[in-house]
Amino acid sequence: MNGKERLLAALRGGATDRMPVLSVCQYATYELMEKTGACWPEAHYDGEKMAALAAGGATVLHLDAVRVPYCQTVEAEIYGSKIKDGGKKQIPSIEKPALSVDDVPVIPENFTEKGRIPAVLDAIRRLKQDVGGETAVMGSIVGPFSVAANIIGVSALLKASLRKPEKLAPFFEAAEKTAEQYAEAVINAGADAIVIEDMMASLDMISPKAYRELAAPYEKQLISFINKRVPVIIHICGKLDQVILDVAATGADAISVESAVDVREAKRKFKENGISTPVFGAVHPISALLEGTEEDVAQGVKKSIADGVDAVSPDCAVAPDTPIKNIIAMVKTVEGL
Amino acid sequence: MAENILEKLKQTILDFDEDAALDAANEALAAGVDPVEAVGALADGLNELGDKFERMEVFLPEIMLASDAFKNALSVLEPEIKKRNTEGQKAIPVVIGTVQGDVHQVGKDMVATFLTTAGFDVHDLGVDVAPSRFLEEAKKLDAKIIAAASLMSTTRPVQKDLIDFLEAKGVRDNFIVLVGGGVVTQEWADQIKADGYGQDAIATVEIAKKLLHVA
Repeated sequence: MNGKERLLAALRGGATDRMPVLSVCQYATYELMEKTGACWPEAHYDGEKMAALAAGGATVLHLDAVRVPYCQTVEAEIYGSKIKDGGKKQIPSIEKPALSVDDVPVIPENFTEKGRIPAVLDAIRRLKQDVGGETAVMGSIVGPFSVAANIIGVSALLKASLRKPEKLAPFFEAAEKTAEQYAEAVINAGADAIVIEDMMASLDMISPKAYRELAAPYEKQLISFINKRVPVIIHICGKLDQVILDVAATGADAISVESAVDVREAKRKFKENGISTPVFGAVHPISALLEGTEEDVAQGVKKSIADGVDAVSPDCAVAPDTPIKNIIAMVKTVEGL
Repeated sequence: MAENILEKLKQTILDFDEDAALDAANEALAAGVDPVEAVGALADGLNELGDKFERMEVFLPEIMLASDAFKNALSVLEPEIKKRNTEGQKAIPVVIGTVQGDVHQVGKDMVATFLTTAGFDVHDLGVDVAPSRFLEEAKKLDAKIIAAASLMSTTRPVQKDLIDFLEAKGVRDNFIVLVGGGVVTQEWADQIKADGYGQDAIATVEIAKKLLHVA
């Protein structure tokens, strides 16, 4: 089996020759930039550079999947949030949210022709051609809750989630609609799977009640739109134990979790409830990948597998100063088992 | 009477009620309650809420609103505390900010608040603060301490950039540099040769006092 066949089989609940290994979230590092000759910030804006750096995930790291883009600001930028360029070393971030909670969001026309989406689509087409025969090509989009946070600001969203949640619905609805458009364009460009990163819908940010009422319904709507065509991996940060069944109920084809989540317990709950959704994770990006030795990484991989993950992935985004020998150690450990 | 007001102040934090916090602070001053004690009661509330947060019984939005309530009460109490402090010795200037590329605010605000209530003259530079700006402000204010927060694995290296920058300018020894934030560890602080690591707001105040020998 090649990486693409392996990952897609795992996402469809089929048999695989070995466990898939990938990075659900971003994996570009300074070393990978050096090796591929494609660096930030250009790789955030230029489709060719974006693809060249992402392709390193296949050619240098030997992951089963590659993915673009590297940041989580593409959608919010089109809504008018001001983006701060991260230069060579960091990812773009939100400098100033576009709107306030009291504003009414307007869905931008021709959403997928705006901002950096054409570059992302170009990168997906290139990846498909360059490494897509053997490796799964994933497009990553931001979940509606997190896009809303990037449009009105995290603080404003969190406070409103408690004080006036009814004001937030129009933002989630708009973000869900544009996510559908973006996802469709990404699929048409050739993506084999879609990652939804809904990092703000984490219990590090909101209560289980808020997750159920404000985040999950829109995730579910978006996933049911996308996975008619391609499988969806949902990634939510933090300790999700209290809502893990709700995350599964979004209908995602796999759930990517951090090592803060009790994977063993999650799998037990799934079994009890007749849920077969695969869980991906959970090698710690800081203590194992960034600061650990190759042996620490191997231990992290083995622990994740012993806990019951269905594919091995870093917990969350790989820090850009991570030594690539550690990412390669993650892959080699899985291959050697 | 004072006991009741202190209890009320704490409760406004547990209810994360901004307006009630302001009212209770005014009431405390009017009743002659020691403003430092009043801040202590508010801090008790924050700590209790912090414990609930640890146990995942309350979540970040509650903490943020409680922090707003705290600040509201502080806007009334702090001038009173400063007035009393200046009657004694001059407060030690501190500059604090979240490092360049990082826009996380909540944790840094909490540390700034606790440093203020501990009697430091805190100058909050906000978020996304460049190394050059830390130095510029620190020089201008004759600050003894520079406190730099980072909340992301991608911005943690900027704490090192700040220290390297101070080295390069030949002024490293003029300042006590404290680092903190969710992704920061004692190990990292040692590695980049920071003077101290603050695991949370209270620990940061303690380490600041210890390094200045003002405990």
